[in-house]
Amino acid sequence: MPIPIDFALIAHQESWRAAADVLAVLRGPYLAPIPDDDLKEIFPWFPPRAVCHIDHRSVLGHSVHGIYIDSFIPPDRLAHKYRHENIERVRDAAACAIKAGARIVSLGGFSSILIEGDSDLLPEKGETVFTTGNTLTVAFVVKGIKKICALQGRDMGEATLLIVGATGDVGSGCARCLAPLVKRVVLNARSIDRLRSLAEELSAGGKAVDIATDLQQLSVQADIVICVASLESPSLLLGRLGPNAIICDAGYPKNLSPVDVLEDCTVFFGGLGQSLGGMSFEPDVHRVLHRHPFPNVGQGCVMEGMVLALEGRFEPFSQGRGFITPERVQEIEAIAARHGIHLAPLYNAQGPLEEVACETEGSADERQIAAPGRAV
Amino acid sequence: MEAVTTLKCATADNANPISSTASIWQDVLAQAVTGELIAVLNYTSLAEICEDPDEVADALEHAESERGHAAAFTAEGGKLGIVVPNNVNAKYWKRLRTAFLRQIDARGFIGCLIIQEVMLESFAVASYKRVGQVAPGSLGNTFAAIAAEEEDHIDHAMAILRAERALDVQRFDDKVYALHIEVMTILAQMFAREDADGHCELCHGSCVKQSLPVVGLTSSELRGVALQHYLRTLDMLGLPGELTLVWVAQLPV
Repeated sequence: MPIPIDFALIAHQESWRAAADVLAVLRGPYLAPIPDDDLKEIFPWFPPRAVCHIDHRSVLGHSVHGIYIDSFIPPDRLAHKYRHENIERVRDAAACAIKAGARIVSLGGFSSILIEGDSDLLPEKGETVFTTGNTLTVAFVVKGIKKICALQGRDMGEATLLIVGATGDVGSGCARCLAPLVKRVVLNARSIDRLRSLAEELSAGGKAVDIATDLQQLSVQADIVICVASLESPSLLLGRLGPNAIICDAGYPKNLSPVDVLEDCTVFFGGLGQSLGGMSFEPDVHRVLHRHPFPNVGQGCVMEGMVLALEGRFEPFSQGRGFITPERVQEIEAIAARHGIHLAPLYNAQGPLEEVACETEGSADERQIAAPGRAV
Repeated sequence: MEAVTTLKCATADNANPISSTASIWQDVLAQAVTGELIAVLNYTSLAEICEDPDEVADALEHAESERGHAAAFTAEGGKLGIVVPNNVNAKYWKRLRTAFLRQIDARGFIGCLIIQEVMLESFAVASYKRVGQVAPGSLGNTFAAIAAEEEDHIDHAMAILRAERALDVQRFDDKVYALHIEVMTILAQMFAREDADGHCELCHGSCVKQSLPVVGLTSSELRGVALQHYLRTLDMLGLPGELTLVWVAQLPV
């Protein structure tokens, strides 16, 4: 009798290193890793399918069972020009989730495009519901900004907030949640029409809002920056950053580091949650899929499906683009907290930014005390 | 056992001097013709162990169809001014045939179908399709048409295999895995970037894989499309995707 699948996560690897590590786990300990050249030739041809089974435990005592489905989008083919072929892969991955009987499906990384725009892209879905998971991502981004400001004793009420990729689902959700808390908001995105529309919405609340399709046009100095869209180069932020600015890298893959041009800033990876109840993976690809310095950490977008499954709310919580409100963010955050899923300890490419002692239930061996980061 | 083919069998040594592109097609066609002749042999052997007269007729019909494919490929070589060699005793093909004969010896009708229809045909259909997209003129059309024909006749076998799996899922999946280890390992070695065991005994000169980009193909792409087709075929049989992914990930590269 097959085990019922409560949730499915659809995602893709962020780098060839990560892809190689996944295949190394699948090959097992007795076979040599696939050489990089062969990996790059073979990996893109894998049809989307489940890579592992996941059990996710709530601190309330119960657990849910799910699968991780990899769409096998090659890490170097995430650019816009590959959009159509990638949509096909995500669509095939969605079909896998439906075939497996998953009750709710979270769409990580690029995958959320499938229901952010036109949900007709989904295959016939029967009982299965889909969520982008973006609301929980927004919750963790916002909470991370508040936390780091508190840790650094920064007054958000005097801050200028710049959001790069502001008109996307996560960007606009962050804007709605944080605009009331800061002095000024600056929005950057490619579409001027969407920028104007979002600015109008935020201005109605009495907030000063600037917009720009090109970062180079901006003359403001931001105290807080949220990068939802991947920047071609961190140097694009040069001249737009105030002294000791805080930068939240909320994109996937994360590509900002506190080096070079961002040396004086505090950069952290945003949108990540940590499960205190814990997760187990079979085969054990946990360390490969969740490459974080803390245990049981994952992207908010993929955790949203697990949270809703633990709560028994099999509904398309996050769908479409631009519908994330502060109220919905509070709601998903409260559900997540009920099951022991909270903002993950803050860190960046150089390591942890805060001293934490995190012990997850049933995994005392994973107790980990992070060294203090330089910026906090 | 009946004769393999009535085609004139040429060897690499007596092939005509040809242009560099024709030389590549000669090697590609040699692999295709030999694969089709192996299929002729396999279906003919299968007919010998079938108990149901309809299955005997089917197997013989398939053998005849594969013989036609071999003839069509050979004729395409003729149009290019080349003689297409074949060698069913070439290293990899002989091992594949031997694996099939082990199933024949055990009167394993299901094992034979798994090897021929799921494994060998996956590689044939996927690579023919790809070659059909880049090969010029009637050569491309022939590869594409034969790929379509091969795909058509797989349905009946798939129905038999699905019914067999429904009887005992674990036993069926274990059988597929055992054959995967034996047969897919050979195919993976055959499609690997380099021939680890030396010359394939079919290409007329050095290994054709290095020259394929000249005609718009790469061995890596052919390996990729073939593995993809194989995984999708196993999906159609109902085998769990996470299981077959591990199988393929563990193949030699």
